[in-house]
This record gives sequence, C-alpha cells and structure tokens, in this order.
Amino acid sequence: MSSMAAQIAAAAGFAVVAVGLSMRMGLGLGREIAVASVRAGVQLAVVGAAIALVFRYPALAFVFVAVMLTTAGLTAGGRLHGLPRARLRALVAIAVPALTATGALLLVGAFDLTARSAVPTAGILIGGALAATTLTGRRLLESLHDEADEIEARLCLGDRAREALAPALRRAVTTGLIPVIDQTRSVGLVTLPGTFVGLVLGGATAGEAASTQLVVLLALVAVELAAGLLLTELTQRAVIEPGERIALPKRG
Amino acid sequence: MATPSVPDGMQARGVAVVLGGRRVLDGVSIGVPRAQVTALVAPSGAGKSTLLRALVGLVATDAGAVTLDGEDVRGLDACALRRRVGLVAQSPAMLPGSVADNLRHGVDGLSEADLLAALEASSLPAAIADRAARELSGGERARVALARALTREPELLLLDEPTAALDADSARRIGETLRGLRERGLGICVATHDAAFVEAWADRSEHLT
Repeated sequence: MSSMAAQIAAAAGFAVVAVGLSMRMGLGLGREIAVASVRAGVQLAVVGAAIALVFRYPALAFVFVAVMLTTAGLTAGGRLHGLPRARLRALVAIAVPALTATGALLLVGAFDLTARSAVPTAGILIGGALAATTLTGRRLLESLHDEADEIEARLCLGDRAREALAPALRRAVTTGLIPVIDQTRSVGLVTLPGTFVGLVLGGATAGEAASTQLVVLLALVAVELAAGLLLTELTQRAVIEPGERIALPKRG
Repeated sequence: MATPSVPDGMQARGVAVVLGGRRVLDGVSIGVPRAQVTALVAPSGAGKSTLLRALVGLVATDAGAVTLDGEDVRGLDACALRRRVGLVAQSPAMLPGSVADNLRHGVDGLSEADLLAALEASSLPAAIADRAARELSGGERARVALARALTREPELLLLDEPTAALDADSARRIGETLRGLRERGLGICVATHDAAFVEAWADRSEHLT
C-alpha cells in the first residue's frame, strides 16, 4: 500500500472511531463529525488539485491567493456584526499585512520566489491575519458596547474621540494577539507546530524545519499585530463622526 | 458710558434630534443662564438626557441651533466646548484608578490645592482622593463626577438626574453644592423630575414636554 493510501485509510479509521465513540456515549455528534470529516476530505482534495494546477501554471497563484483573501474577508467580516462594511474592512485588515509580509519573505530570499513557496506562505499568513482580525474585531465591538458609558465619560471630560476610544482599542489588539504570542512562547515545548512537523515528515532536516518554523512564527506575530491594528484603525474611522462624536455600531 | 455686555450662557432654539429613526426631540428651546440654577423638568422618557447630550455635541442635532454666549457651538472645538460646559451623567462612569486619577484625567498639572478644592466644592472629604473610584457608592460616584467636571473649570454645568437614587441627606448636600457653585458664577442646569429638589434649590425652571 502506498503511503498516500495508508494516510487516507488511517484518516478514515480515525473518523470512524470518533463517530463510533460519539454514538456510543450518546453525545449526538456522530453526524456532525461524519459530515465534517467528509467535507474536510473533499475540500483538501479540491485544494490539492487546485495547488497542482498552480504548480503547473504559476500565474494561477494570484487567483488562488485572491480566493483565499476573499474567503478570509468574508469569514472575518461575517463575524463582525454591526460594523459598517465589515467584510471590506476585514479584507483590507487581512490582505495588507499578509501580502506585504509574503512579498517581503520572498524578496529577501527566505523562501523561493516560486508559486510553490508563495501560495503556502501567503496561506499561513492570511490564516493568522484572519484569526487576529476576527478576535480583535469581536473584542472591540463588545468593548464599544460594554464600555459605552466610560467612553462617553471621557468625551465629557474633553478627550478627543480617539483618546476616548484608545483604552478599548488597546485591549482589543492585545486580546487578538494572545493566541499567536502563546503559540510563539510555547513552540517546541507544548506543541510542534504544523510547518515544523510537515517539513520533518517531508524529509527536511530538523535544522531546516526549525529555521523555517521560526520565520513563519515571527512573521505571524508581526502580521497578526498589523492586522489587529489596521482593523482597529478602520473601526475608529467608521465610528468617529465630525464634532468628536462616536456613533456606536448596532449590537450584532 | 458703554453698557457692559451680559453673557447669556447657553441657549437651545428649536432643537430636534432623531435617534435610530425616532424623533426624540422636536423643536425644543431652553436657556441656561450663568449664575443661576435652572431646573429642566420633564417626565421620564421625554428626552432630558438626549437634550443635555445634544447641548455638548455628544449627539447630532437635526434642526435648530445651540449657542454659547451667542456663538453657535458648531463653530467651536467640541473638546473645548465640553470643558467649558461640563456634563455629569445620571450614572457617571468612573475611569480606572483612584478618585485623584479621575480628577486629574486630562488636566495637566492640577495642583493638590485645586484637587482638594474640587473635592470640597462637591462635599467630599479629602481622604476619598486615594480610594479606588470604581469601588465607591452611587452617591459618592455622583459627587466625584461633579468634582471631576469642576477640575476643568467649566463655565456651565449640566447635571442629569443628580439626585436619582440618593437619600434625602445626600440630595440636600448636592443642592448645597450647586448653590455654592452658583455663587461662584457658574450656570447650572439640573435635569430632574424631583419636584422637591426643584422647589428647594432651583432659581428657575424650563419645562420639556
């Protein structure tokens, strides 16, 4: 049996075990796990075929990245209920830092300037920016509602609207960055991250895997911070009105 | 001999405010002269809080004009306006930190003497300065919010239901505080539906229907 066939068989086996356990314990998750497993298989098969096409026709890399960005913008924006033009703002917050960092990594030679390198690099950075944008945005929208009285008190004391919003924005950006900071701190101690594992399983040396993982992790920290800051800036522009007024978004 | 100009404080003429598609205020006119305590009397839900917020530009007006000493407030810097005209909300939010931190917020170089004077003018003991602002009782918060507004040296003060949820003794101390501020020339507007407070402490009334 080839290793690919063995992997697919093992994956199916684990799915069957999870479904069986769920049914046995009466958790009511059996159908959901089965659907998610099949869906993951189909999605990965489609992605695999699409990436094979990109490797064959490198110009398609731009289309692939555009699809990833659009999906990320729609996903994050869909979770930011109440923020005007949330999907567009989320798309900008994700795309600008993720594409800038991808371009920088390719230009300095950290990765080969090829579609084979560019697509996965962009993918992992877009994924990180998506997570940070969603987390930062949701925390910010909650703060704007929960701390409305405090924000108004600051305005009454003569603060500029940006000054009045600053504490809520800082807390939101901090919250959005916690997962990637924890991931960076605990790398190798608690978990072996995906890039490292994938490279080692693919035959790279441990040193190569470690240096690649390091640059990916630290790029993620910078990209996620930039995405969070960009989203908070775009949110400020959405809620601050002339005359140092703040129009709070409707609660989602 | 030239007649000295008399500052006329704040005037709202024909003010309308629409919030969330609902007309909350429609053609409201009131005056808040200096050196007087003006009671803004209206039943609950009549838009008193919205009017006070509109006077300092926290909500946009859809019609009418608000003037301060005859000057349209839309031509003033909003932050400067809110320092000249202090608004104390019904349930004022305390900022993080101590009472002193709250009073010093946004006021560069506030002296200890000025801080204590603001506390005293609000009937608060000096010892409260070091207490955590968010751990105070409702009555203490109301007076700290008043002291906090005073550290900006406002010309007018707008107070939204300052005696709500206060016992009679605390309400009396608020009234005495306002009377003291009036003697110093401040114009004060108290939005309330507390008829006894109006009777005891207000110089004049404006009715919002």
